[in-house]
Amino acid sequence: MPMVSGVKVDLKPDELKYIKKTLGRTPNMVEIGMIDIMWSEHCSYKSSTPVLKMLPTKASYVVAGPGEDAGVIDIGDGMVVTFRIESHNHPSAIVPYDGAATGIGGIVRDILCKGARPVALLDPLRFGSLTSGHSRWLFEYVIKGIADYGNCIGVPTVGGEVEFDDSFETNCLVNVCCLGIGRKEDFVPSKATNVGDVLILMGGSTGRDGLGGVTFASRVLTDKSEEDRPAVQIADPFTKKLIIEATLEAIQTGYVHGLKDLGGGGLTCAASELAGGGGTGVDIDLNKIFLREPGMIPYEIMLSESQERMAFIVDPQGVEAVLNIFKKWEVACAVIGEVTDTEIMRLMKDGEVVGELPAKILDDAPVIPRQTRKPAYIDKLKHIESPELPRNLTETIYQLLGSPNIADMGWVYHQYDHEVGVRTVVKPGQSDAAVLRVLNTDRGIAVTTDGNSRHTYLDPYHGGAGCVAEACRNIVAVGAKPLAMVDALNFGSPEDPEIFWTFSETVRGIADICKVLELPCVGGKVSFYNEDEARKKAVKPSPVLMVVGSLDSLENITTMDFKQGGDLIILLGDTFNELGGSEYYHFIHHLEGGIVPQTDSQREKQVLECIMDAINQKLVTACHDCSKGGLAIAIAKMCMKGNLGAQIDLTPIESPELRMDELLFSESHSRFILSIKKDHLNAIKELADQHSVPVYLLGKVTQEPTFALSYSSGKIKCELDKMKKIWLETIPKIMKG
Amino acid sequence: MTEYTISIVIENKPAARDPEGMTIQKNLINRGGYSMITGVRSGKYFRMKVDASSPDEAKEIVFKMTNDLRIFNPIAHVCTINMEET
Amino acid sequence: MHMDADLIWHAYFRDSEYNAAILPGGFSYGDHLRAGIIAAFSPAMDIVKEMAKEGKPVLGICNGFQILVESGLLPGALLQNDCLTFVCKWVHLRTETSNSAFTNEIEKGAILKMPIAHGEGRYFNEENSLKELNENDQIVFRYCDENGEITSEANPNGAFENIAGICNIERNVLGLMPHPERASELILSPYRSSDGLKIFQSLKQFLEGR
Repeated sequence: MPMVSGVKVDLKPDELKYIKKTLGRTPNMVEIGMIDIMWSEHCSYKSSTPVLKMLPTKASYVVAGPGEDAGVIDIGDGMVVTFRIESHNHPSAIVPYDGAATGIGGIVRDILCKGARPVALLDPLRFGSLTSGHSRWLFEYVIKGIADYGNCIGVPTVGGEVEFDDSFETNCLVNVCCLGIGRKEDFVPSKATNVGDVLILMGGSTGRDGLGGVTFASRVLTDKSEEDRPAVQIADPFTKKLIIEATLEAIQTGYVHGLKDLGGGGLTCAASELAGGGGTGVDIDLNKIFLREPGMIPYEIMLSESQERMAFIVDPQGVEAVLNIFKKWEVACAVIGEVTDTEIMRLMKDGEVVGELPAKILDDAPVIPRQTRKPAYIDKLKHIESPELPRNLTETIYQLLGSPNIADMGWVYHQYDHEVGVRTVVKPGQSDAAVLRVLNTDRGIAVTTDGNSRHTYLDPYHGGAGCVAEACRNIVAVGAKPLAMVDALNFGSPEDPEIFWTFSETVRGIADICKVLELPCVGGKVSFYNEDEARKKAVKPSPVLMVVGSLDSLENITTMDFKQGGDLIILLGDTFNELGGSEYYHFIHHLEGGIVPQTDSQREKQVLECIMDAINQKLVTACHDCSKGGLAIAIAKMCMKGNLGAQIDLTPIESPELRMDELLFSESHSRFILSIKKDHLNAIKELADQHSVPVYLLGKVTQEPTFALSYSSGKIKCELDKMKKIWLETIPKIMKG
Repeated sequence: MTEYTISIVIENKPAARDPEGMTIQKNLINRGGYSMITGVRSGKYFRMKVDASSPDEAKEIVFKMTNDLRIFNPIAHVCTINMEET
Repeated sequence: MHMDADLIWHAYFRDSEYNAAILPGGFSYGDHLRAGIIAAFSPAMDIVKEMAKEGKPVLGICNGFQILVESGLLPGALLQNDCLTFVCKWVHLRTETSNSAFTNEIEKGAILKMPIAHGEGRYFNEENSLKELNENDQIVFRYCDENGEITSEANPNGAFENIAGICNIERNVLGLMPHPERASELILSPYRSSDGLKIFQSLKQFLEGR
């Protein structure tokens, strides 16, 4: 890494040339430090911007989209929903507890700075196999970190998911999502547009934390990373809670014109985005910044990533009122600068100018065109030999229920206070998505996260699109309508043409299906460099989607548990031989390869609309989509949740092209299992026909505690108690050691 | 006046059970091959700087404070006070 | 239910013109040192202590219970859960006495369903104090199974004698770890019940009787 003005920077020679040309001189230490951090991959997206342009971002109800701190959508009645997804992968891989906890801290601030109260958290996570002590350690402490932080600030963690795969052994993925609900009139932009407005810094004091934190995230993990520990922050949720309340109260005064939290890139990023975004400049007096440690130089002050800091742009008339609110909540604050018309970020110390950069330069990172090359393994792994058909499919189902990727995650979500806030009407585990009520209305917001790295590894296009399909299915299964999404894209190094190819294909898949489903992308996060340099092993491509939907009436809430004996069990959608990347192939046969479930956007749209209509017409008593483990596991879960049995006859869906294991465990898209009252059978059939969705009567719910399937050449019979024991005890048993 | 360094350790009383200590001993230490470790108690540790005119006075101040402010809960905890070498 | 209530910021709580006080759940002072200990020294608690002395009803929920214990208004201690993790789930409670400001509308033996959400909820006390609590009918709620049996499986945190809530000798101060306010609306309960409401209805009844 080159040295410029006494500091090591991660900039390439042509980037340095460009900087010198634009400034007309060599930048000094603090200036080059600021550029270095703003132009890091983590802050500037220099590799991914051209690819991300494929994603559709517009809809009539989108208030704020990509580029802002969080996506904001209008849900009517003067209310908006704000949400965002973030990644905190590298810190969590080194110090799981604080890495995950500060990830929560960061994302909550992002929601807060749009003027909304954070009301829900979700955590989609990826770890190595639980047979590894290291992965168990990461898993345990990431969950604890998220729990301790979220519980302490009183924001319920209502959903999430965990995927286990060897490729995440050294590079676990910790993505965090937050959702806020607020009034449209309280929305605050992240821009400083009024010259003369005052810049107030509030929250934690500025110390030497994280110096190099963001550039650290863009670097690959090596043995030296353990020494990088100073780059990881220590969480302080109590201070965060005070900040949340103080900020929301300050916004109510109407004097807060702009708001930005200080995350990666510290005050440098925040101030430059506020000024750059507003077309203004900003003067900052470094002497006014309250420091935790003595003798900090300008470089350290501007690059510090100390936690729990917010930057407020306040009307000069309202400064006293705002400062008084901060004093009431006992949060530290100081007026540190003012908005100017110079379009320059000017830093003053002891009365002298110590740094000066055009506000826009920091936003002006050059885009790096990356090479792409299709990896050879893609075609090689497509065609593998089918494994032998298991002789005892009953045993296979029991085994699959004990696969960590399918087993019940109660061990995780019972550590999260998912009830605080009294908004959680559909709780973790009850349905495919969580539902929060909008207080004082009959409306609800549904939210879910989904991803599938195995599918995406084998087929990036259909794997990426498949994540969107699954997430939307989860939203409609609970009775809601999908409105918008944000995506976290976790990949290895973009400098590797094969990885960049998978990245582009994944985004292309996501973009194509979003266009057909009319689902705008209102924000997202790209996390590159998730790989182990020593073993030259990158994580499997991991797109993770958070989809938000709305329910007009909480009466429509549908959960996945079977409700009573006698209800009919219906399958909507067709099953194909698509076991590539399936849990069945991986856990039962240790196979990697095959055809991955293909997405057909039109077909997906039809079945989503069919379910929405069926639920609105009150025809459905229980609903669950088919995903990991196929339809066998889907029905098994509905039995276990409802404590009821099922009697299934597979002959209506048998075909000579499909072996029995392919029928049971294929993870084909566009399928749902419903239970309905007997009298509604014709209505469902008609509805399915109207939407051109295949519909099959598979059987009925029974009081008997068995999950029984019969087909032309055999029978399967699983005992409900045995299924529950395996499914519920797998994770607790592994974690107890 | 001198500055003294005093540490306090707060542990659960035996009657109150110490699941954290027990778990660490059984599942980590003994299972990790250290069977000669026959007991583990967990606790909270605080190191305090105290301005006082003598070591005894410093200890007394800390003793009084831990009781007045219920730094430890006398129903459930025992509290040990130690002078540390400066 | 129609009772007027104000949410008071602790530093502003000046005098006790109120008829009852509720200390809600949460993580006062981040639970630093010990849950409830720092809040117990808040000047607001001096006023709460006065209200309790005057016989006014005082309810402590979860962190509120921890604060009542740390300020001496209720006996005992609340320690880290046996399982060493935070636990959030719905539990069954058996009502052990109707003789209190918050359970006068609830039948002795009635099973209530409410959620818990805590990391330090294990009730502990010395043997003779526990004996006294039993003799004075101060144990108000115990964790039980769905049939009302007091079992160790039904105990989520290792609390002595499955104790989930207790009251003082005068019976006007109640502390409990579960959250009745999260179980007062049908839509929030997986059982579609509103058992938590009964505690507030009892409070209303008590106040109307004073």
